Amino acid sequence: MTTNKEQRTANSELLSLRGIEKAFFGIKVLKGVSFSVPAGGMVGLVGENGAGKSTLVNILGGNLQPEAGTLRFAGADYAPQNPQDAARRGIAFIHQELNLFPNLSIAENIFLTRFPRAGTTPFIHRGEMHERAAELLRKVGLEIPSHRLVKTLSAGERQLVEIAKALSIEARLIIFDEPTTSLSERETTRLFALIARLRARGLAMIYISHTLADVFRLCDDIVVLRDGEVVGSGATKTFTTEKLVSLMVGRTMNQLFPERRAEAFGSEEGAPILEVRDVSQSGVAENISFSLHRGEVLGLSGLMGAGRSELARILFGLDPRERGEVRLAGEVLHHLSPPNLIERGVAFLTENRRSEGLCLDAAVADNLALVTLPQHGRTPLRWLLRDSLQAAVTRIRSVVQLDSKTSDTQPVRTLSGGNQQKVVLGKWLLSKPKVLILDEPTRGIDVGAKFEIYRLIHGLADQGVGVLVISSELEELMGLCDRILVMRSGCLVDDLPRVQFDRERILAAALGTAKEVKS
Amino acid sequence: MNRAGQRLLDFAPLLLFVAVLAFFGMQSGKFLEPRNLVNIVVQASSTGIVAVGMTFVLLSAGVDLSVGAIMFVAAAIAGKMALAGSPLALALLVMVGVSLIFGAFNAFFITRVRVAAFIVTLATLFIGRGLGLRITETRAMNLPDSFLQLGAAKVLSVPLPAWLFAVVLVVAHLVLTRTPLGRQIFAVGHDVEMAKKAGIRTGRILATVYLISGACAAIAAMVTLGQLGAVSPKFGEQKEFAAITAAILGGTSLFGGRGSVLPGTLLGTVLIQTIENGLVMTNANPYLYSMIISAVIFAAVLLESLRNRALKL
Amino acid sequence: MAATPVTNLESRTTTRLRSLCLSEYLVLALTVLMFAALAPFTPGLGTSANLLNALGYLLPLFIVAVGMTLVMITGGIDLSVTSIIALTSVVGAKLMTSDGGGTPAIIGVLVMLALGAGLGALNGAVITMLRLPAFIVTLASMMFLSGFAVWLTQSKNIYGLPGSFLALGQRLPIAFALTAALGVAAHLMLRRTVFGRWLYAVGQNATAAHISGVPVRAMTFAAYVASGLCAALASVMLTGRLETGSPVLGREILLDIIGATVVGGTSLFGGMGKIAWTFFGVLFLTVLDNALNLLSLSQFSITITKGAVILFAAVLDAVRNRFVVGRS
Repeated sequence: MTTNKEQRTANSELLSLRGIEKAFFGIKVLKGVSFSVPAGGMVGLVGENGAGKSTLVNILGGNLQPEAGTLRFAGADYAPQNPQDAARRGIAFIHQELNLFPNLSIAENIFLTRFPRAGTTPFIHRGEMHERAAELLRKVGLEIPSHRLVKTLSAGERQLVEIAKALSIEARLIIFDEPTTSLSERETTRLFALIARLRARGLAMIYISHTLADVFRLCDDIVVLRDGEVVGSGATKTFTTEKLVSLMVGRTMNQLFPERRAEAFGSEEGAPILEVRDVSQSGVAENISFSLHRGEVLGLSGLMGAGRSELARILFGLDPRERGEVRLAGEVLHHLSPPNLIERGVAFLTENRRSEGLCLDAAVADNLALVTLPQHGRTPLRWLLRDSLQAAVTRIRSVVQLDSKTSDTQPVRTLSGGNQQKVVLGKWLLSKPKVLILDEPTRGIDVGAKFEIYRLIHGLADQGVGVLVISSELEELMGLCDRILVMRSGCLVDDLPRVQFDRERILAAALGTAKEVKS
Repeated sequence: MNRAGQRLLDFAPLLLFVAVLAFFGMQSGKFLEPRNLVNIVVQASSTGIVAVGMTFVLLSAGVDLSVGAIMFVAAAIAGKMALAGSPLALALLVMVGVSLIFGAFNAFFITRVRVAAFIVTLATLFIGRGLGLRITETRAMNLPDSFLQLGAAKVLSVPLPAWLFAVVLVVAHLVLTRTPLGRQIFAVGHDVEMAKKAGIRTGRILATVYLISGACAAIAAMVTLGQLGAVSPKFGEQKEFAAITAAILGGTSLFGGRGSVLPGTLLGTVLIQTIENGLVMTNANPYLYSMIISAVIFAAVLLESLRNRALKL
Repeated sequence: MAATPVTNLESRTTTRLRSLCLSEYLVLALTVLMFAALAPFTPGLGTSANLLNALGYLLPLFIVAVGMTLVMITGGIDLSVTSIIALTSVVGAKLMTSDGGGTPAIIGVLVMLALGAGLGALNGAVITMLRLPAFIVTLASMMFLSGFAVWLTQSKNIYGLPGSFLALGQRLPIAFALTAALGVAAHLMLRRTVFGRWLYAVGQNATAAHISGVPVRAMTFAAYVASGLCAALASVMLTGRLETGSPVLGREILLDIIGATVVGGTSLFGGMGKIAWTFFGVLFLTVLDNALNLLSLSQFSITITKGAVILFAAVLDAVRNRFVVGRS
């Protein structure tokens, strides 16, 4: 029986989440998330990459369904099965990747499924459409004729069109997901002014952003997510930046990382195996210079969009570079391409193992063999020496500790995330690399498998391999690496040896909330 | 690709058109006479109508290789009916009905069973050709004069076929630019998944474009019947290629989401017809037609792919 | 974590249907079934004369289908094979008859093969370098080459080919040996060499293959060259058997080629396919074509049936795709 007070609180909550749980392939991504957005309120949602924010947004938007928990919106149960359900109830989303059709006009994008008709004819009443669109554009402060094609608009302008779309469905709640990443200063100011106006009209909002300063400025309340759980929530004034950051990264938990013999920690006395000088590609990376030494585990930290994966792709020859030099064991590499680099002992595990690291429908053994196939082919016809290939496959299976229950002929698609990643790792380890680049090696993997992968990484480093680890989990990098580089907006902004590892400092560098420090 | 290069690509169809006119104009004095030019438009009507239907399909990022075969079957059935004494109007109506059945057939396999459009319509092409041959018993059929009379009829001294082409163009243009269906076709062609997420009934849209394509094939067949007065076993052969070429030349993208019937497909059709006309006028080898058309398709697709890459949508 | 089953809630029929669809020998079974069903109604189905006739159809079809299989494994398609057959037939014939100065048969054959490979290379180059979709490129090729062949000969057939050349198509042991050799070579290449594995990888996930160091462009290019080469070899056989250099040679069998390959189990989506499967598919189509002809079905009924068969094959492929891999 709810008391009057509870009733009143419930009534003033526009959106409430209770105990939301979601798992992918057995890994729990949301472990019972509960918070609420009051009517007309503005809640900031913060958390590191992988904390579960996007999953939460997808659940609210009807793209995913939770395994447990309840959602309520405007006093009624809310269980959207698709984006249209969310729109119908009056919840609008301003995503990072905008869902606008560049080949259609602004007005057409807004009214794409709700064109006003000219009476009983099948024709669109263009006058009315443009009039209503113009009205909406006025409300969001965009002074552009509504018949302009979206492809002519800048990122900031497109975002305003999305907001206009939200207003056109008479949304009561707008969820902003990283709205300022592609905006200029001017556009950001314009956006904030609009947000203020919309709030004055009673719209509630959820604001998801890494730019903590903005969160402090705009939001009434803040909810902090970490590892799928709400670790802190309350009025903005009860938080400080330091408190927020420490909640986001969390205190040290139990021993997650294997012990590494102290003297085995790679140091800069080891010879540099990979040297990068002034690598640049406009819009992606700017004068990146660093060295990776033999036996060193080097971490690359930074926010999503900072350019880390892009840098790795450039180094492996998948994307072009305008300038810069890359040296491997002292030799300058003029032409960067996968076959070239593989031949010289570089290996690259991309962050998208399913779409870029595996042939999902092929067998485990076939995937494991892919990179080193030529080694088992007898020239000139490249006849496969199946025995040596099989021996290699069997050997690497035990090295990466691939689950013995999975057979060699099983399609890789049926494996768990952890085992899939081991297959990708195994594939590359067979090439006996001197440099191993790992992009998000433990994403979507359970704790047990993570430990095994960390052990492998340390083992490789002990053997003299230079390992570059890109990760969004700061804990992971701090537990694993000898040195951490921090990237922000395409530049290297910090370089810390292990003895100087400091969560706040790294996050501050990544977020840009502190002055740049170069060691 | 800089702005200038991009504008050049955008105007390529028009420039090409002017170039072709100039070329053939220089080869033969008679080419640029008004009578010849009007002739070109009239002759282009049949291909043009099919090209309009094809434009719808291409806009949705699909393709319809069966239009020529649909023309053949529709014409064959109408011919048989006419020769058996049916009234002209009924025969024409049946043509449209038959074409819609084929369109629905294509649509079903493409949208429900999810087989690639080119394979489905390739199969329909053969099924249709076979059916047509069966109906005509592989012989040419001479139709009653009523067809030829219709084809030769003139309104305001412009032949009926040209009027039909004009009407189809205008209706198609209105549908594409002024109706929800038309605008949604563009959205689906750009990105079908995004369109689905936006709440568009993509299955329905895709089915509709194949129905439209079929219907246009039927109307085009009517025009051709009016001009030839007969159905030969080669009726409609290679029309699908001419239609694709005309649409692409007119600026419609193979990859979907971009194009127009006015002026696009109109220009493309007239361009193709002009090339054919010019070849005839200059007594060029008739065997070259096929080669030239395919070379033009290739050039058009190449241009298209360059444009696609230049534009960062 | 152990392998997870596709779903625990499948009904019995679905499971049975799935295992049937997935069986490698489904097509072989269907062929035998079809043969048995039609035998009582079809006069002369089992006679040796008919068998010889059927082989004349089967061998060249299989040869082209082998090339098509390789292309399909990489995820592409080659619609121009039949016009390559026509053009090489015509060029070879011109060379080997009085028109071309009576070039010796061996040179004629070599030229035909080289031309086929060269045309395949052209397709391959355009597809890999200009990144245009395979179906439109090979469609344009098909039209162009076909038109070119017709233009070269002014629509006329070329007769009077040297006996040594005709033997290649007409002497069964030779034709059989050639076909078998090609089939075995292709099979071994796919199964036992690095190149074979690379082809599959390209079709399964070209991006992952590229990152793993597989020469994706080179392999795709090679597949089209192989397809052209196979088409030329088939042309040698067909031209020899018909004793005519014809600009429309092979025109009717385009659907048969694609149909046979897809029915056999090679996926239009790429990444899957075996020479043995293609053989079963070719066998299926041979029995079908043979029976239809013996039943004195009109040419158009045969065309309709083949169109339906290719549709059936493509539907089977799409359905199989959904069952096996849960791709939607």
